[in-house]
Amino acid sequence: MKVNLSFAEHSKVPILEVKNVSMTFGILNVLNNVNFSVPEGNILVMIGPNGAGKSTMLKLISGLIPLQKGNIIFRRKRLNGMAPNRIALLGITQLFQDIRIFSNMSVIENVMVGSHFNAEANLLSSGLRLPRARIDEHRLFETARRHLSLVGLEQKANINPTSLSWGHQKLVGIARALATGSQLLLLDEPYSGLSGLEVDNLNELILKLKNQGITSLIVEHLTDILMGIADQVIVLDHGEKIAEGTPAEVQNNKRVIDAYLGSGQPAKEERQ
Amino acid sequence: MDYSIALQLFFSGLNLGSIYTALGLGFFVVYSVTRVLNLAQGEFVMLGGMLVVTFYTKGIPLVPSILLAVVITSLAGAGIYRFIIFPARKFPGMTKVFLTLGCAFIIQGIALHFWGWEFRSLAAFFDTPSIQICGATIFGQTPWVIGATLIMVAGLFVFFGHTIQGKALRACANEPLGARTVGISIERMALFSFALAAGIGAVVGALITPLTMTSYSMGLPLTAKGLLAAFVGGITRVEGVILGGLVYGMIESITAGLIPWGNHNVIALAILVGGLLIRRRGILLTAGKG
Amino acid sequence: MSFSVQDIIERTRKISPVDARYLAVGIFTILIMIIPLGAGAFPNTVMIEIGFYSIVTMGLIMFMGFAGQISLGHAALFGCGAYISGILTTQHYLSPWLALFLAACFTGGIAAAVGRVMFRMHGLILAGITLALNLLFFYLVSGLSDLTGGAIGMTNIPPLSLGQYTSQNILFNYYLLWVIAILLLIFSLNLADSRFGRALRSINTYDGGSEEAAQVLGINIMKYKVWVFILSAVYASIAGSLYAHYTRIIEPNTFMIQFSALVVLMAIIGGRSSPWGAFLGAGLIVSIRQLLREFAPMLIVGPTGSYELIAYGIIMVVVLLFLPQGLFPIIKKAILKRRPGFS
Repeated sequence: MKVNLSFAEHSKVPILEVKNVSMTFGILNVLNNVNFSVPEGNILVMIGPNGAGKSTMLKLISGLIPLQKGNIIFRRKRLNGMAPNRIALLGITQLFQDIRIFSNMSVIENVMVGSHFNAEANLLSSGLRLPRARIDEHRLFETARRHLSLVGLEQKANINPTSLSWGHQKLVGIARALATGSQLLLLDEPYSGLSGLEVDNLNELILKLKNQGITSLIVEHLTDILMGIADQVIVLDHGEKIAEGTPAEVQNNKRVIDAYLGSGQPAKEERQ
Repeated sequence: MDYSIALQLFFSGLNLGSIYTALGLGFFVVYSVTRVLNLAQGEFVMLGGMLVVTFYTKGIPLVPSILLAVVITSLAGAGIYRFIIFPARKFPGMTKVFLTLGCAFIIQGIALHFWGWEFRSLAAFFDTPSIQICGATIFGQTPWVIGATLIMVAGLFVFFGHTIQGKALRACANEPLGARTVGISIERMALFSFALAAGIGAVVGALITPLTMTSYSMGLPLTAKGLLAAFVGGITRVEGVILGGLVYGMIESITAGLIPWGNHNVIALAILVGGLLIRRRGILLTAGKG
Repeated sequence: MSFSVQDIIERTRKISPVDARYLAVGIFTILIMIIPLGAGAFPNTVMIEIGFYSIVTMGLIMFMGFAGQISLGHAALFGCGAYISGILTTQHYLSPWLALFLAACFTGGIAAAVGRVMFRMHGLILAGITLALNLLFFYLVSGLSDLTGGAIGMTNIPPLSLGQYTSQNILFNYYLLWVIAILLLIFSLNLADSRFGRALRSINTYDGGSEEAAQVLGINIMKYKVWVFILSAVYASIAGSLYAHYTRIIEPNTFMIQFSALVVLMAIIGGRSSPWGAFLGAGLIVSIRQLLREFAPMLIVGPTGSYELIAYGIIMVVVLLFLPQGLFPIIKKAILKRRPGFS
């Protein structure tokens, strides 16, 4: 029966629910009562003009910014007040716009950091390189290599990531995130700084991950690149959700067009 | 009787507090402009003290001796910025900290070369006699310490708050890019801040030489104490440095007075470090931001 | 079969990084073991001193070079080992070996307690706190005169002994110290290449890591900082105990900030990215000091000790400005010609 579960039905189960989330920095209202949910196995795209609060939303989910108001629920588990490293272990991984590649280690070591907790050896046996630690190292290495080959960078395993192109560095970042056993990827403007070909490659990879059951939440301020791969689109403007739906629905939504094409004035008026 | 002891502790606390405040000001000036933690600050103090003693014992009157020491130390500070910190301005903050540590070694070595291992001392400024107030004895140097610190604090307040130069200095730290676009030369401001901090250090050196003896190796411990005072109060604001310095001085004076067991330094330091670890961002900043 | 240097280099390029690491340690061990055969007592005492500094610096390198944290208070940890060893052996008559072990445990415990609060803060403020803690330690051991002998210090600390040999014997002490140093080197090298080493490098904001990126990959940065601080403290404590049982006299001045600054200098000059840097840095600095003490008085007149301070400062500045990674990466590159994965 499980096998027969249709994709449409399956995708209705939300992997992540964001409920009534608000956020203020001093007197600045960054997010105002935002609600949405991400169905399991979907690609959800969050768009909006610069300063709409999209990146803040991602950091709230990954725990890098503590949640002030509202609830974030991942697989029936409330994330409120949880440390970012614990949230990561649940299967949520944030990717940064500037990647934050670890330039003090090789490509494969970067990916091995991602899988580091998939090991049993303690400090002492690691330092003494006991058999247990050696088995661990071997397993971590193999896991990392598998994830590198998934993004097509197996050949670059031993070089320093800073000598890779920006696009390849992004792929290393994704491999590193996947190595944690991530179920939900939070991608913060993954397309910034990529060439046309690299954008296509990245889209292909995200679709490939979707087929493996990995959910993606992508934040972007450019709209057109993503409409092809998005299952669902959310539009944020000035910290508020102004539209939600399939790419086609959102593209024809008047408020969205105003927010993007207008001076931002209509959205402001409605808020007041 | 108790009253006189309290008064005595208060004055000695004020004296120590002024010294720590003045020490902290040097860190504040450099940090607020360049975001560099200057570990050579204590060496400036040592250098200033040594120079004053040297000039004074050579027969030069006190005030010109101090002025000369301040000028020479300021030049040393400017030189350190220009030749050591400036070439590393794009390096991470930790590298700059280590660079200033290297400078501390160099200054220490030079001091050891010229002045040797001996401790140097001075009489209280203008041989001011000790004063008796309600049973409390105030050492003749104390009014000079407090007065000079007050003048320096007031000067910095006026300078940073009310002059264009001072506002430009602050702008360098807060908005380096913005400061550059409105035509402020960050490099010149940083150079000036190092010279100013070194000058302040030299004044402190002159002030404390009659109280504690000066030797070539006293720089790093002074750095540690001044830095602690500055961090406890909040290194990013003048008020924080004053508060931190006074709190440190008072605690040290009170523990020295109340604890018969000889080592009050331990208790005072422990209270301060403990306090800093609990109130992470310093007294002022925590109080201000909740 | 020839054993030219070229030959060895050629071979190291063909073997795996792990084997190369053991080969390097093996060559280093042989070198260390044969030095006393040709040298007199004086070079041996200098080598012993290098050994003490190397162990402390190795601990500091794990803290500073792997994890990117700043410490200007390692002298306190070194002193902690020395004083606990001294107190346990002179006042409680414990075996020096047991005292060494207990001192390491106790110092590690202190580091754990201090680290847990200290690492709630980060960045340069740690420089201020560790400096203050070093000063606090100095005042503490100077003040607790019943326990530590105060400013005069402790005397008659018993030496470490093994059968008929004691650590008063220079040669025995030499081998004892260097065997421990090499074991600790192997431990550090292994650790650097394990998941712990990678986790530490990932939080190293000084040299290309990122705390936020590490956190979202599931790394508990607090835990790793505290662990590496404990480890670093244990290294320093072992060196301190060995020092106390070797010199048999300890006084507070040895454990002042000056010592902390010196080990930072060694770590930076040697190269903070690898434990090997500790031996390079300590060896270089102690050798320079020894040379200056012997030859400088012939050239310039002045109190001894001033040239070495100036030399330290100049070396520190020059290395930081022109070789920010220290000497080890250059030497490594020269030997291995860009072979990756070797540390």
